[in-house]
Parts: sequence; structure tokens; C-alpha cells
Amino acid sequence: MKVNVDKTLVASIVLHVLVLGWGLLTFSSKAYIAPEESLPVDIISTDQLAQMMSGQKTGKKEEPKPKVEKIAEAKPEEDSVGKVTEKKELIKTNATPDPPPKPVEKPVEKKPDPPKPVAETKPKEEPKPQEKKPDPAKEDPIAELQKKLDTKKPPPKPVEQKVAAVQPQQQPKPKERTFDPAQIARDLDKRAATRHELTGSALNASASLGSTSGTAVSNVATWQGAFQGAVKRCFTPTYNGQDANLYEADIDIPMKIDGSLASEPVIVAVRGPSRSIAQAVAESAKRAIVQCQVYSFLPKQQYETWKLIPMTFGLKDML
Amino acid sequence: MNRRRFMTLTGSTLALLGGGQAFAQQPQQGRLRIDPTEFRPIPIAITNFVPGSPADGEVSNGVTQVITNNLKRSGLFAPIDQAAFIERISNIDVAPQFQNWKTLNAQALVTGRMTRQQDGRLKAEFRLWDVVTGQQLAGQQYFTSPEYWRRIAHIISDQIYEQMTGEKGYFDSRVVFVDETGPKERRVKRLAMMDQDGANVRYLTRGADLVLTPRFSPNSQEITYMEFGQGDPKVYLFNIETGQREIVGNFPGMTFAPRFSPDGQRVIMSLQQGGNSNLFVMDLRSRSTTRLTDTPAIDTSPSYSPDGTRICFESDRGGRSQIYVMAAGGGQAQRISFSKDDNNATYSTPVWSPRGDYIAFTRQGGGQFSIGVMKPDGSGERLLTSGFHNEGPTFSPNGRVVMFFRDPGGNAGPSLFSVDISGRFEQKVPTPGFASDPAWSPLLSATAGQ
Repeated sequence: MKVNVDKTLVASIVLHVLVLGWGLLTFSSKAYIAPEESLPVDIISTDQLAQMMSGQKTGKKEEPKPKVEKIAEAKPEEDSVGKVTEKKELIKTNATPDPPPKPVEKPVEKKPDPPKPVAETKPKEEPKPQEKKPDPAKEDPIAELQKKLDTKKPPPKPVEQKVAAVQPQQQPKPKERTFDPAQIARDLDKRAATRHELTGSALNASASLGSTSGTAVSNVATWQGAFQGAVKRCFTPTYNGQDANLYEADIDIPMKIDGSLASEPVIVAVRGPSRSIAQAVAESAKRAIVQCQVYSFLPKQQYETWKLIPMTFGLKDML
Repeated sequence: MNRRRFMTLTGSTLALLGGGQAFAQQPQQGRLRIDPTEFRPIPIAITNFVPGSPADGEVSNGVTQVITNNLKRSGLFAPIDQAAFIERISNIDVAPQFQNWKTLNAQALVTGRMTRQQDGRLKAEFRLWDVVTGQQLAGQQYFTSPEYWRRIAHIISDQIYEQMTGEKGYFDSRVVFVDETGPKERRVKRLAMMDQDGANVRYLTRGADLVLTPRFSPNSQEITYMEFGQGDPKVYLFNIETGQREIVGNFPGMTFAPRFSPDGQRVIMSLQQGGNSNLFVMDLRSRSTTRLTDTPAIDTSPSYSPDGTRICFESDRGGRSQIYVMAAGGGQAQRISFSKDDNNATYSTPVWSPRGDYIAFTRQGGGQFSIGVMKPDGSGERLLTSGFHNEGPTFSPNGRVVMFFRDPGGNAGPSLFSVDISGRFEQKVPTPGFASDPAWSPLLSATAGQ
């Protein structure tokens, strides 16, 4: 029985075996060896190494530390207990003095705020969170609150103001919801938005912002107006003739720091067609100054500005 | 170089300007100014005058009441109700407790004492205190006959007024007026005189003849007025002390609207000449007359300026009655009345203020009669009161108050009213009956030596 063997097939197999065998031998993979970084190496000769290892007779002798000192270090453990008690006392003492200075300082800083006409822009945003607090009295999710805060409601505002006076007394209190940190966070964010840093591209509306004495001028204007109003309340001149505008009296008013008169007001000058009438006007002004004291509202920190108040009393508006 | 210097100077100037602006923004550098916008009377406490003896109680209360009324009626004072007093003054020689009066907001305090002396005279003492400063502003004592206690009260009132206002008072003065009684168609008009507050009325004529336009002499001892006698109306002089009267001049025609010159030596009046009237002045010593105007118009109601150099009067020489001013010796007259809102308004009965600052007048326009004042140059016109019929203004001795008469019409008769020159305080002057044509005397205490 003959088996027909295809020669080409045999030759192909042989060739493939040869090629694969050669490939296995020649392209066999080697283990990867990471290339070592090159390091600068100082080459030391054997003589140098021997000299280094031999040491020096003139070298400093290291004195061994006495081991006994470690025993004394055990005491701080007792002190640490004592420190705990001392800390408690410090906490107690610090707790009381802290609050008082804060309320004292705050009103002093807030007082000059109202007269700031510049601050007109700020209240637009500040009252909002106050007015809106009673609004979310219902069980609203944070998303709803955020929507309410984001959306401006000009028309409902007057309604809120009207109702707000009644609502807080009846409903809002029981409906007040739990503490919402997200709400506060948004309020804080909003407040922060009013503080624009000056880049030079726009003028700051508040000229006094950042100045420690920025309200000084407005404060002076305030005490002057208040002083004028207080004296005017007691000033009752009797002359109301048609030439009343010609009468004037200059009076210097020496003041004490408590707002009372340091001494009798001094008539510096009187003017008018009739000296007797002008003198009567001056006397009437003096009576008004004395009668209306004490002017305790005068700012003590600005005493130097009103230590001596020069005033002119006139009658130009009598008719 | 010059340019650099110029730039330097310019820079310095700008710096100064900038500095000046900053300086101007600090009002504490200048004088604070107070101008009251409203008038408020002075709160004053007037305590009951302490009687020197129980018999002096009535007159003590009377003096207190007169002083209180005077000051209150002036409009410049607001007497505090005695019911509110905390302290009772029993000895005026002891300083009062001022705190008690400060509590009442009193600015001034009046204390006094009335004591009848052994010789029958009445001794009046008073003190005026400044409650605020605690100082005594005035302290006086007077001796007089008991029947003149009212005048003492007026004099004390003037003292208080002067101390507090710087002006002379006007309470110690009199008013001469025409008293009217009887039905309207047969009204009896008598010459009468009274204190400025309406007390002590005296009738100077019996009412047989019609009298008009009485005016005081500067020494308050004589009155000149017009009376309709048997013939033409004539101007008369009446001596208050003696009761004697005489005709001023003997003119062939009606004379009217007389008034004394400030020195009392002359009387200026109107003389009717046909359908016109002109102004004449007669020297009372030489009896010589001088014509001041000569126009085909009605010139009347002349009034001297206080210094006697000028005369204001009314005239219709321009077609309507207006007020003119001219020199006391005559000459060119200048019209000073010009209505701003009514071209048909007329001005009449001008009276020069004793202070010289105003001329009071009667203005007719818009169906109303008004009393007003204006400056002698015609500026600053201000109406003090208006109504159906207001007429005949006369100034108080200090020029602060104007008295006039008001006729409401109908069957009622005229009454006297007073108003201060600001027009704020108008009030009726009490008279026994109807009254018109008032004329205020000078201050009696000031003319006592004349």
C-alpha cells in the first residue's frame, strides 16, 4: 500500500520547523535589567582609606553623658497634672472678661454708621436676609430656600414688611425650623459679595472704608447739629421786627468734657441797629445755653473739637 | 526757568485750593449759627405781690394781675399759671430757690411787695430775677398815691419788658378814642380816653357834637381832633387837665385830620377847598399857617416822621387813594404804596411809627379792609390783619403794636383791636361800648418831665 506524500507539504513543514527553531534560538528573551543611574563616585585610594581609619590622637574626646540626670526628669509628670487645674482656672477667668469688651466696642463702632450717607447702597442687601428669615418658616428643602434667596421679590417686600410686624408674634415662632447651616453659609456668601476689592477699575462708593478715622468728619457734623438743636430749643428771643435779620450775637461757650459749661458763656460781640436790643438778644442766647445744659451727647473722644464752641445767634428767620 | 516756576506756582495754588476745600469741610473751624425759625414767648413766673399789711392784699393782687395781663397781652411773654408754682414767695428780700422755678421752665421771675406807708402813700417794690443765671436783673421801688396803683403796675411792666427785650415798654400809656353809643342811625360819639389796657375810661366830651380823629400831643397833655359844630367841621385843641378847648385856626372851610408835629409846636391838617383838600401846617405859637400841598386832589391824613423832617399822607392825585411821602416843608411827593396783587387797591390813613421804621396804613382791596405796615420807602409791605372793615391804625409808643378799629357791619358797632407788627398777636381791647378811631399816647413816664 502506497502512501502518497506530498513533497511540497513536507518541504513546507520542514522549512517552518527550521525557521521556528532558528527563531527560538536567536530571538530568545533576556531578563530586563533596569539601567542603573550613574552616580558620581569619588575614588579613594587605599592609602587614603587607611589614613582615615587610623584616627587622630589630637582629636576631641567625647565625654559620656551622665545617665543620672534622667532620674530628675520624672517630676514633670506631676506638673502636668497641676497644669490641668491651672488651665481650668484660666478658662474661667477668660470667659467672663471676654464678652464685655465686645458689646462695648460694637456699639461704638456702629454709632457712626447711621450718619454715613454712603452706606445707602449696603442696606439694600443687608435687610434682605432679615426679612426673608420669617418667610421660609415652612418645611422647605434647602433647594427651595436657595431658590427663594436667589430670586428677587420686589413686589412682595412691602407685604412682607407689613405682615412681618404681626407674624413674628403669632406664627413664625412655632414654625421656626431647625438650624440650617446652608442658609447661614449663603448669607455669609452674600455678605461677602458686597465687599469688592478695589482693583482701580471703579471708585469705591464708601470713601471711608478701611480708614480707622473715616467717620470722624460725619461725627463732627452730628454733634454740631445736635448741639445747635439743643440750644435752639431754649433760645427764645423776643424781637421780631422787620430788621430782625440785622441782629447777631457772637458767644463763645467754654465746655467741660462731661458736656456742662466750664464757665459762663462769653458775649464776644453784638450787632444790630439798636445796641440794647442786640444786647437783649445776646442775653437771651446766654440763658438758652445755660438752661439747656448738660450737653452730655457731645462725643468725649472729640473733646478737643468742642472744648470751646464759638456760636453766632441771629434772628434772620424770625419773620 | 520761568515756565518751571509757573508750574510750581500752579501746583502750589492747586494744593492750597485743595487744602482750602478740606478746611471748608470742617465746620468746627467756624462759628456755629442758630437762627430760630419760630417765635416763642418768654416763660415768666409772676408771683403775687406780698402785701405789707393785711389791708394791702387787694392792691397787691391787683398789681400782680395788671402786670400779668400786660405781659401776656404783649405776646412776648407767657406768664406761668400760678397753680403750678412750687415755691411761695413770702419775703422778696430773700433770694428765691431758683431750682423751683427752673423746674417750671421759667426764664424770669417777678417778685414784689406793696406796703401802705404811714403818710398814706403806697410803696411798691419789685424784683426781676433771671432764673437761669440766678441774677437779679432789676429791682425798683416806687411811692405813689394809692389810687394810682394801676399806673405803678404799668410802670413795673415796662421795666420788665425793657429788661427782657431791650426795648422800651408801652404799658404806661393811654389811648384816646371815639366812644360810640346808641342806635346806629342816631349814634352818639364822645371823645374818651383810657389806659392802654382799657381801664380808667374818661369821657372828654358829652356827645352833643360829632367828634372824629382825635390825636395826642407829644406831651400827652393835649388832644387835637375834629368836631362837627354849628358850622363847618373844625379842628380843636383840648387840654386834658383843664378841660378847655379852642379852635385851631379860623379857616373858611372844613378842616380835618389834624396831627401834632413831634415837637408839639405845630399841627398839620387838611383844609377843604372846593372839591379838593390840601395840607396846611399851623404854628401853635405864632398861629401862622403854611400850605404844604397845592393839587387838584384830596390830600389828607398827614403824619410826621419821628424826626419831623418828612410827612406821609394819602392822596388821590394819581386817580386812586395812595400813600405819598414828602418833606415836612412841602415839595415833591413820592408815592410809596404799590399793590402787587391788586391794581385797584387803595391805601389810606398812613401813620408813621414812633421808631421811624414803619408806616402803618389801611388798605382796601378785594372787598376787604386790611391793616398793614410798610417801610417808609414802600418796601416790605406786610398786612397784619384783614376783614370786613378795619381802619385807623395807630402805633404804640415803642412802635411794636398797632391798634385799630374793626367794624363787623350790620347792627353791631366798631371795636378796638391791637396787633403786634409781626401780625401774630391780635386781640380785642376792652371798651365800655363801641369804639373807633383810636390814637395811642406817648409813654407817660417818658413825658412826665415835659
